[in-house]
Amino acid sequence: MPLPYDDALSDVPDEALLVAFGNGDMAAARALTARLTPRVLGYAARMLGGDRAEAEDVTQEAMLRLWKVAAEWRQGEAKVTTWVFRVVTNLCTDRLRRRRSVDIDAVPEPEDDAPSAEAGLQDAARTSALQGALAELPDRQRQAVVLRHIEGLSNPEIAAIMDIGVEAVESLTARGKRALAAALGGRRTELGYQDG
Amino acid sequence: MDKRPELDDAGLDALFAAARRDAPGPSDDLMARILADAQAVTDAAEAPVLRPAPRASVWQGILDAIGGWPAAAGLMTATVAGLAVGLGATETLEPLTGLLTGYEIEDFMPAYAGLLSEG
Repeated sequence: MPLPYDDALSDVPDEALLVAFGNGDMAAARALTARLTPRVLGYAARMLGGDRAEAEDVTQEAMLRLWKVAAEWRQGEAKVTTWVFRVVTNLCTDRLRRRRSVDIDAVPEPEDDAPSAEAGLQDAARTSALQGALAELPDRQRQAVVLRHIEGLSNPEIAAIMDIGVEAVESLTARGKRALAAALGGRRTELGYQDG
Repeated sequence: MDKRPELDDAGLDALFAAARRDAPGPSDDLMARILADAQAVTDAAEAPVLRPAPRASVWQGILDAIGGWPAAAGLMTATVAGLAVGLGATETLEPLTGLLTGYEIEDFMPAYAGLLSEG
């Protein structure tokens, strides 16, 4: 749902908005919130196996860190999205490690958002299947696949977020996709794909 | 070799696209909490901060007692300068000389001119 007060600032780059907020501009904060929160929440939710509550916690924490760094932000050094995604990645990794040390079977059930339209059901079923398969990947493969194929980021940007080389990103996404293809292959009909 | 069914690239892409479409947006409550955090950070940045006393605290205390050194009277400046020389805080005399239009500190304390140049 677009926020009405975001429209006027829609052409302003993330960095300019962040610096403006660092100088006390709350309109800039609202624009950045509208712009970044959906992406951050989506990524966190996929990393955390669909746990919506934890994803919201991580999202709020990441945005809080962004607000705190705004006053010291040096322009031209990093992209705001790269910085935020890196913080979210690290927060999610921490939470996943803590989960594993507490409970081995710690993958929560994906939330059921229950859209009513036929196409919506198809999407939800596919998403649920994908989410289940993603949860089985090693963390780094999941990060790379989600950032590349759902968030649509470039390999160099993913490399910056994950603090690895571009070749490593390509290797992780290739392995992750192969693992997903194998995990989901047996459910092709169920997912609505025609055979042959 | 057992060939198990696999999803091809097109199938995976369709799943990824579905995930993008199906992504639940943030709740209004989450957005409000994030904005409240932003407001709190801004408010904290603007609040006056109680800073610890600066290094030359004795000197600052004396200046405050006099009422600040941008004083109207050259006499006050000279008195302060005299205190500064007495305390050995020679580096603080630099700004004071600016107040004395056309006068150097040596004009008031010729005996100390040599001390000042030695810093």
